[in-house]
Amino acid sequence: MNTQDLIARIKDNDDKVRADAWLSAGPVGAPAVKPLAEVMANGNLEVARAAKHALWKIVRHVGRPGADAEKKPVLAELIALCGDDQPTAVRREVLWMLSEISGDESIDTVAGLLSNDELREDARMTLQRIPGDKSLAALQAGLAAAPTDFKLNIVQSLRQRGVKVPGAPCRKLVPTKKTKVRKGARVDT
Amino acid sequence: MRRKDRKVPRRTFLKNAGAAAGVAIGFPRIVGSRVLAAPGRAGANDRLIMAHIGVGGMGGHHLRDMVARMKQGQVQIAAVCDVDENRLRAASETAGPQADVYRDYRYILERKDIDAVVIATPDHWHAVQTVHAAECGKHVYVEKPACCTIEEGKAMVAAARKNRISVQVGSQGRSQPEAYLAYRYLANGAIGHIDKVTCFHYPSPVDKKPVPDSNPPPELDWDLWLGPLRWRPYNKRYCHGTFRWIMESGGGEIRDRGAHVMSCAMWWMGADGTGPVTVEATGTVPTRGLWDSAVEMDVTYSFKNPDWVLTWNQHPDNAVPAEERKEGEDKIIRPGYGAVYHGSKGTFTHWGGDGGTWAERKAREWVPPPGAKDVYESPGHKEDWFEGIKTGKKTIMNIEAAVGVANLCILGNLSLILGRKLEWDQAKQAIVGDEQAHRMMGRPQRHPYHL
Repeated sequence: MNTQDLIARIKDNDDKVRADAWLSAGPVGAPAVKPLAEVMANGNLEVARAAKHALWKIVRHVGRPGADAEKKPVLAELIALCGDDQPTAVRREVLWMLSEISGDESIDTVAGLLSNDELREDARMTLQRIPGDKSLAALQAGLAAAPTDFKLNIVQSLRQRGVKVPGAPCRKLVPTKKTKVRKGARVDT
Repeated sequence: MRRKDRKVPRRTFLKNAGAAAGVAIGFPRIVGSRVLAAPGRAGANDRLIMAHIGVGGMGGHHLRDMVARMKQGQVQIAAVCDVDENRLRAASETAGPQADVYRDYRYILERKDIDAVVIATPDHWHAVQTVHAAECGKHVYVEKPACCTIEEGKAMVAAARKNRISVQVGSQGRSQPEAYLAYRYLANGAIGHIDKVTCFHYPSPVDKKPVPDSNPPPELDWDLWLGPLRWRPYNKRYCHGTFRWIMESGGGEIRDRGAHVMSCAMWWMGADGTGPVTVEATGTVPTRGLWDSAVEMDVTYSFKNPDWVLTWNQHPDNAVPAEERKEGEDKIIRPGYGAVYHGSKGTFTHWGGDGGTWAERKAREWVPPPGAKDVYESPGHKEDWFEGIKTGKKTIMNIEAAVGVANLCILGNLSLILGRKLEWDQAKQAIVGDEQAHRMMGRPQRHPYHL
């Protein structure tokens, strides 16, 4: 199946045709990445979902052991999808794809999204997951540049990576959300 | 023929020996566990102070159970908590006017008077809340599966050990009377050497009514419901209850029921603390909708030293063993899942494995010969937990065993998602030889809802 066939089937009205298409998308590889991302913004909910599933199939296919040659061009396509010209939902999904298969090649791009209010948390988690010194350095640089309301998020990632940040408290056990329900409440019948 | 009634031993907290602890007979003292007995351990005559986190489906069941125990003087319910205000209101009415109400479970954990918590939130919260509870010195009853990722399981084991709390995971099948009979039957070689266990289950449901994302209803704190999961907009088909069919939370039937059926298998095979060397899954997935867990599925787990094979098979009802019970016997309420044990001298089947476990008649009627080995008989799943709290003994579904079972479920799903066989190193508690799969052993969590 080539990219054109894949996209045509992903857009089909029949659930089964779409499902068969995305289940087989893995070997289609890098040429299908950008076209699938475009279909992820399709107004038809199930077509958009099918495109997303197909993209994930490619990521899981090229992530297999011994597939570095196939993975490299897919990574290049995914990194390009992190740009401002892409919808937030697509970029969010791509960040998690990168978290599974990327090495140092995506770090600069992902780190750049630490300053994006909508995507910074996903970018942080992506950097946390990608092993290596470059991602760790990106987190540390990100901490220095982060606004106050985001610093503790990055501290948490550093903690997970084995780096303690002096003077930064862990807020995980601090309760913050109150209920409107009163003690001894009764359910209205 | 009806099976013989057995007297299942029960423990009570209000012992007549209360005089030794200065307690008058029939007048329970309500004290926190750290006031009496060994540090961090409630005394034999103490009524446990409980709180409930997550009071929906199973959570509501646990709450009603604890209310009954409260009326018997076993526990006191100090608080209930839920992120859905409607459920919280209903739980408040059930629990009684003495119970405080919270949306945020962390208020419960910071209270010094609470001894133990029952956690019945969606699966993606189990690890975080258990670890937090342990770090606050609370004993934990947490619903199954124990965890959603391998790394979560490790963190739960570490936290429970470090903080010396008693954990019971809700695979209550192990505590059912016929589970004891089955285990005793198998442990005494009634079907010989077992080298294969085939679990059967009907398919996971598919979503026939998918809808677009929308705003959450006013009573639901969506941010707190999502908790550690990565951000996504609310969708009506995500909760409540239907989280079970979402891979990142409930993980489908293999995690929902597999955590029960495979729990029995690991226990009866004496395999707690061990793991497979390879896991391979195939299956079908939904063709539309938000739910993405396997519809039909086959997973093969290969164990070494001793060598045996465990399989998990999700197929329509016509592929499962017919139920055995006949007229005059207790009906098997849920015959559609269970397992077949294949031995050198025959086979054995059980149905269920969760709130009900039904054993084949030959196990129920088996009379142990002289010198037969006995096995542990649970006094009841909650009772076994209470005993663990009081004495420090390992519970029947302790966190180590539960994480081992959850790992089987997780690995099965990972193999399916990735479309390839995985190799597992039990000693390292890691997937080996596959960098992508190795990274998927953990999942970064949204701040501040993290381990």
